[in-house]
Amino acid sequence: MSVIAPKFKFSEFVKSILDNLFWFLLIFALIGVPLVQIILFYVEMPVINGELLTPFLALTWLADPSRTLPILKAFMTTDLFRIAAFPGFGFAALLAAGTIFVERKMLAKLQLRVGPFYCGKIEGILQLMGDGLKLLSKEIIIPAKADKPIFWAAPVIFVGAAAAFVALIPVAPGWVVADVDVGLLAVFAVIGFFPIITILSAWSANSKFPFIGGIRALHQMVSFEIPLILSLLGVVILTGTLNLSEIAASQSAFPWIVFLPVGAIVFFITILAELERIPFDLPEAESEIVAGWLTEFSGMMYGLVQLGTYLKLYAFAALFVVLFLGGWNGPMIWPPFPEEIITKGIEAGPITVQIPGLPLFSQETLNGIVWFVIKTVGVIFFILLPRGVFPRIRIDMLLSLGWYKLIGMAFINIFIALGLLYAGVLGPGGML
Amino acid sequence: MADAVFLALSVITIGSAIAALELRSLIYGSIALMGTLGGIAGLFLLLDSPFVAMFQIAVYVGSIAVLILFTVMLVKRELIFKKIEDKRRKFAGIGLMLVLMVGLGSVILDSGIKSITTDEPAVDFRDIGADFLTYYWPALILMALILAGSVTGALVLARREDVGNEQRAN
Repeated sequence: MSVIAPKFKFSEFVKSILDNLFWFLLIFALIGVPLVQIILFYVEMPVINGELLTPFLALTWLADPSRTLPILKAFMTTDLFRIAAFPGFGFAALLAAGTIFVERKMLAKLQLRVGPFYCGKIEGILQLMGDGLKLLSKEIIIPAKADKPIFWAAPVIFVGAAAAFVALIPVAPGWVVADVDVGLLAVFAVIGFFPIITILSAWSANSKFPFIGGIRALHQMVSFEIPLILSLLGVVILTGTLNLSEIAASQSAFPWIVFLPVGAIVFFITILAELERIPFDLPEAESEIVAGWLTEFSGMMYGLVQLGTYLKLYAFAALFVVLFLGGWNGPMIWPPFPEEIITKGIEAGPITVQIPGLPLFSQETLNGIVWFVIKTVGVIFFILLPRGVFPRIRIDMLLSLGWYKLIGMAFINIFIALGLLYAGVLGPGGML
Repeated sequence: MADAVFLALSVITIGSAIAALELRSLIYGSIALMGTLGGIAGLFLLLDSPFVAMFQIAVYVGSIAVLILFTVMLVKRELIFKKIEDKRRKFAGIGLMLVLMVGLGSVILDSGIKSITTDEPAVDFRDIGADFLTYYWPALILMALILAGSVTGALVLARREDVGNEQRAN
């Protein structure tokens, strides 16, 4: 007899499972299936191989890859796929999850600790999932005198703004959610939302620590936005466009960091400040003001803010890659897709499977994605690294750094770019 | 589609403008002001000028609204506002606004706006920049001087006499 469940009977256990199964099947048959059919009635289905897609053959698709792949390929051309999966939210969230794991383990190694270790057996690889489950199941506590609508809305809008930022990043040639003509200006517009969200959420918590943290965040973000914008103007002067895809494509021969290292350094420092990372983590200084403007958030609201923060980190690192490191450009390292799979099909012993439309991505796209991810991960690594090395600096030092040194250096960068442009070395109609 | 978007944007813009004036809470008022400015940005987008729309968001929503929020949060409300509730003033204000709107509207309608064809391509922002640097350069110089003057004035105003040099950040 086990101690944990003294009245355990195997027959009752089986009965409870069968009960649950019965009710699940009954409710699914009575409500779920009609609901799915009603929804499918309104969804516009794509035409594949000359015939309209029939969603009622879903189980057939699962069994037959030659039917699944064209559907997958048709799905990949939709906006939904771009927004939710590949260049958009899913891809960014995957990289963000990797970032969190690497950050925790690397920081632990730098500080001679172990870090996450037990969760998932291999070096605590499932720690993030465990933390996510914990945050999901925790109670959301709203402070009694908080301004409830703003307090509820702030984390959601924060994630929304971060996702809008992610949507502007081109990952591979043609793979971008929103290919706007004034992409860089749109980035500036989206960055401008973060201080507002921060200060509103800090104010709405109606507590001293969040408010102090929010005011600090506002000071920091507003003063570092100016060198951020100025440091990117050099690239715009040399490329003559604001479209991020065109900026990335213009660096096929050499990245702009070769000619504009000053701008790259200024932009990198402003990234650290905008992301509130050490040494500029005054808004979340845990030794002074608990957790800064995040103090009153609990449960999944805190989780949402963290998700938004890491999405923002990815987006800033990707922006650095697109503007200064050449985006997806790089030597071809991806092997070409084997021809015989397209012409003959896959042969496995006696069976040959002919699968139409197999290369889902072209070789250039895959190569671009690989280079983009390598560069972005490198930049993220350098954003994480100061956390194990530097102490936090005072706010007056931070502000004087932002207002005197960085703005001055950003202007030097603009003059370098203008000099290169007027000397006829670079830019539209230049020598290189 | 464009008509529905235009109607929605107009409702957002005008509604949040009224809310910005009428709400008792100053924070909510400034949020409503952000809604107005964002709605105007949406109208610019509808007019095929994303450049202006993005600047509208970056400058007005991103900076001006933050400035207003900052001021509202840091200053005690009783010190800067004295409440004057007066029916006559309110109706006089509404009347003044109506007169202004009718006047401006008649001027705009008389200016030949009806004869503009709408299927022309949108003006490229590069052309705007080129015009500013060639034909309209005095305006650009004037704006630069005004901005430099205001920044210098702000620096002079913000300088504190009671802080000694040893107290400043190096």
